[in-house]
Amino acid sequence: MKISKLAVAGTLESSDCMVTIEPAKKGIDLELDSVVIRQYGRRIREVAMETLDRLEVKNARVTIVDKGALDCTIKARIECAAARASEFEGRVSWGGTIR
Amino acid sequence: MGISICQTPLPGGQNKEYLELLELCGLRDEGDADVVALMTEDDRLVACGALAGHTIKQLAVDTDHEGLGLMASVLSALISEAAARGVHRLFLCTKPDNLKMFVSMGFHAIAETAEAVLLENRRGGIESFLESIPKYEGVCGAVVCNCDPFTLGHRHLIEYAAAHCDNLYVFAVSEKGSMFSPEERLEMIRKGTADILNCHVFESDMYLISRATFPAYFVRDESRADLVKSDLDLDLFCRKIAPALGISRRFAGEEPFSPVTRAYNERMKELLPEHGISFEEIPRLSEISAGKVRELIRDGESEKTKELVPESTYAVIQSRA
Repeated sequence: MKISKLAVAGTLESSDCMVTIEPAKKGIDLELDSVVIRQYGRRIREVAMETLDRLEVKNARVTIVDKGALDCTIKARIECAAARASEFEGRVSWGGTIR
Repeated sequence: MGISICQTPLPGGQNKEYLELLELCGLRDEGDADVVALMTEDDRLVACGALAGHTIKQLAVDTDHEGLGLMASVLSALISEAAARGVHRLFLCTKPDNLKMFVSMGFHAIAETAEAVLLENRRGGIESFLESIPKYEGVCGAVVCNCDPFTLGHRHLIEYAAAHCDNLYVFAVSEKGSMFSPEERLEMIRKGTADILNCHVFESDMYLISRATFPAYFVRDESRADLVKSDLDLDLFCRKIAPALGISRRFAGEEPFSPVTRAYNERMKELLPEHGISFEEIPRLSEISAGKVRELIRDGESEKTKELVPESTYAVIQSRA
């Protein structure tokens, strides 16, 4: 998935996270800010990198401000931000049928 | 509880409630919001925030509803709205008491006064801006100007300033002007000062006299000039920009017309020396002001601007006519 513009997904509410994805020249530049960085920082990074890898996002600057989100939430927010930042913007029917 | 993004100006009743909530939290409407986020519970306003250009401000939560995380919802709504509008670079202005909360929401403090802190959403934003600017030898001075458009008055100020230091930084205000674009103004300043070899012109990248650092400058509500707050702007200049670039002098033109600019100059006189920076106000060339030039252009008398602007600016004015 090619990241062609900046996009945001998620909120800063408790148990959620806000993900910002924007174009970058080379590789993944991941910045993580988390209320539980000492406990789960490494795990959150792992989830983020796995998700980006699965989406085949190769070059992007990713900022995650985490408010204690579960893995599934982090994945969902990254997927959404990446879709919005890519050529798939507006074409993913979230929760509906994928054609 | 629901949250909605509303265009300004708000309708009467809603606006009254909004102003009351701001007042309750010791804030006031600075009059430059593009949209406001309003959070209501049973038709009662419980939290709010505003987006003005690149700045999130006027964030308030009703005292009965503190500690429920409402601020996080309001801020999230404003960040999403900004992203939808293509505004990615964000500043946030709040009270010093709230600093910690907004740092935990991904913002980084860049300036602070007793009354307010200014944060930005990019780690190391100001630092990378300062790194992008070359450092010069000797005594360095600075001029910050809007130059909408660049006149012989600006030229006079810059000539004087450049003659009174070894190297002069000229920072062009990066906000949209009332007539010329930031790019046009930067170009006009560069061309109009190209022969002054120790004068170096840069964009100010929203860190000097911007809607984020000094909103009153752009609201131009002259009747409230006594309330003008320019301390965040000057704190950023004195504690971040000047030390990084070795600036020890600042120059500005005397301001006979605008009370807001005059208040800014007065504040510079007080604050800059506290940080070891001298401030000098240069008498203005009579009869020349950018405002007057704009007026002539609007009235279709742009040929009359020839006496007021350098040739390079006149060429730009002509090309627009």
